[in-house]
Amino acid sequence: MSPTDLNMTPELMPLLAQSIYYDKVDLWLWIRWGLYLFAGFFGVFPLIVAYMVLAERKLAARFQDRIGPNRVGPFGLLQPFADFIKLIIKESIVPKGANSFVHLLAPMLTLISAFLVLAVIPFGIGLAPVDLPSGVLYMVSVSSIAALSIFLAGWSSRNKYSLLGAMRGVAQLVSYEIPQVMSILPVILWAGSLSLVSIVQTQQYDQGWFIFSPPGILGFVLLVIASIAEVNRAPFDLPEAESEIIAGFHTEYSGMRFGLFFLGEYLNVFAICSLATTLFLGGGSLPLQGYFAGEAQHMLAAPFDASKDAVLKLNAHHEFPMNPGSGFKIHITNDAGQTEAFQVSHRVGDDLHLMANRPVDFQASVNSRVSASARPDYATPWHISNLVMIPVFFAKVFLMVFVLFWVRATLPRMRADRLMAFAWKTMVPLAIANIFLGAIWFEIVIRPAGGFGHKLIGWAVTAPLAIAAVALVFRINRNSYKSDDPERRPTLISRTGESLLAATSHGA
Amino acid sequence: MIQALFIALSGFGLLMALGTVFARNLVNAALFLVAFFFVVACQFVLLEAEFMAAIQVLIYIGAVTVILMFGIMLTRNIQGDETTTVTRPWRLLGLGVFGTVLAILVLGINAHEPWTALAVRPEFPVNQDTTTERGQAILSMTPTVGREMMTRYVVAFELAGLLLTAALVGAVVLAQHEASDVVNANADIKETSEKAAAGA
Repeated sequence: MSPTDLNMTPELMPLLAQSIYYDKVDLWLWIRWGLYLFAGFFGVFPLIVAYMVLAERKLAARFQDRIGPNRVGPFGLLQPFADFIKLIIKESIVPKGANSFVHLLAPMLTLISAFLVLAVIPFGIGLAPVDLPSGVLYMVSVSSIAALSIFLAGWSSRNKYSLLGAMRGVAQLVSYEIPQVMSILPVILWAGSLSLVSIVQTQQYDQGWFIFSPPGILGFVLLVIASIAEVNRAPFDLPEAESEIIAGFHTEYSGMRFGLFFLGEYLNVFAICSLATTLFLGGGSLPLQGYFAGEAQHMLAAPFDASKDAVLKLNAHHEFPMNPGSGFKIHITNDAGQTEAFQVSHRVGDDLHLMANRPVDFQASVNSRVSASARPDYATPWHISNLVMIPVFFAKVFLMVFVLFWVRATLPRMRADRLMAFAWKTMVPLAIANIFLGAIWFEIVIRPAGGFGHKLIGWAVTAPLAIAAVALVFRINRNSYKSDDPERRPTLISRTGESLLAATSHGA
Repeated sequence: MIQALFIALSGFGLLMALGTVFARNLVNAALFLVAFFFVVACQFVLLEAEFMAAIQVLIYIGAVTVILMFGIMLTRNIQGDETTTVTRPWRLLGLGVFGTVLAILVLGINAHEPWTALAVRPEFPVNQDTTTERGQAILSMTPTVGREMMTRYVVAFELAGLLLTAALVGAVVLAQHEASDVVNANADIKETSEKAAAGA
């Protein structure tokens, strides 16, 4: 690369979210991104959060045999707005000894990390705000900022209970991040991509939902448990355990600053449910779509010479690439019956650029048949598909949200040392075992690109292994608990807690 | 445009680095450090290495700084005082070390290649003329990093792994209490709670 090349690159390009699938940033794209920012992040998501809170209160009430909020508006439907107005007009008190800048920064960081996570979720075709080639990694990294914000909130309040909550929170978040990330690894292996859009496409067109496999089930369960811990909800809500440490890290927060924490927490719940939906439940795809899929055959729209241009012309309104990512293959059979597989690189307008991995001497004409290992429904315009996909996506997400509310209303809070032991002794070993199981599934089912028969073999091989792994890990842990008489219980809370209290009382 | 942005970002990053060094309050220093790491991530984005940017945020902001903060949180004294300031001879020594390291870095980098040289990207695993270079570079960042790590830098990679394992084992050894400690601590707690119960 010479210095002149640097000047030749369109100047703003690398800054625009690194979205490689748009080689031309036109007005329409600016408008779209603007809409995402203003309509989505200032309108839709806060509204979703408002009604999630209401739903949680209503559902928790039902679980406890109460009625729940029903005074404001019909069925209490205006309750969120009443709550919002209350939060806004309440005084925002900053403790005298607090570090005021950090005290303000902490809730903002929570909110920023929650919003940033939502930036890569593919809600429908063409509705992934940005499709990063390393989207999963991006998401994990921005959600790890939440640990920082919890720490800052606890520390800046200069309150022992806040600091205790922050300490618990950070320890918990750091511990549960490990099984969370490791449970995602099989999915990345199967999809061959870190892009969330590619992961959804692989499920929708090629593999079926990833949860329909033993390592998928195990990974999904691990991901959900670790994610609940990541967003500090019951039974993992030790950082804000109100019976022990008042409200934990947000004890000293009031008014809208507390509201920001609240908004951040529920946005995070929404985000992790979207994440689980995207990674394991196939995004907006219907159940079993792609699971039994056969090859769909389609005519090539223009003469195609792979050695020369590697560009496939599509007809307008093809559903085809949502945003084609790496690992998405198209098979082309020419008149002579030769078949070649090409990876999709990117799309410009109706031109689908293919990657030729090797020098190809392969001619194809108008009559060549194109099939993709993806099986898209070419006949359906993407606008119509979105009419199905977006409701399906949100139905899955809110099912997950309901499960989280259910868990919260059902399970009691865990003890701090049990919480850590569960992460390190149960979740992490299971996640590691699951990576191996995922690799076995990959070798049996996905690499040979086999059909349903391969899937059956995969089930027969990996299901007993998965059950054995779970049984083994739980058995070992049970034996370790047997020797755990009350006199020798680990003293994580009391010890560090005491030294911490001593530390804060001598000035912080 | 890119140049101006680079300069602005770098200037901000240097300010943050200075803030990290000079801040008296340890938590403020750590916050400056976070800002600095974030600037580094931004530089990676400018270099079209968004994979590295995500890794930078994940490892340095999400893990290293959080552990650092955890350490700070458990220390008694986060406001600098006479125990955390250094005397004149030590300052001179520190200045000398700083100068030497700077000289080694400047000379070392310059001797290898002049400042104006442009580094060549590693080979991409795809045909060069199928798509834009930028697109290829970004798309093939992850596989390229993986491949380089498992071939060219495998020794360094394994050594780093060994070092981290050793650090982990060391931390466990340091953190592990003697069994009698635990029993004593529990007995203390039990005693206290019994007293409290008796008092009530």
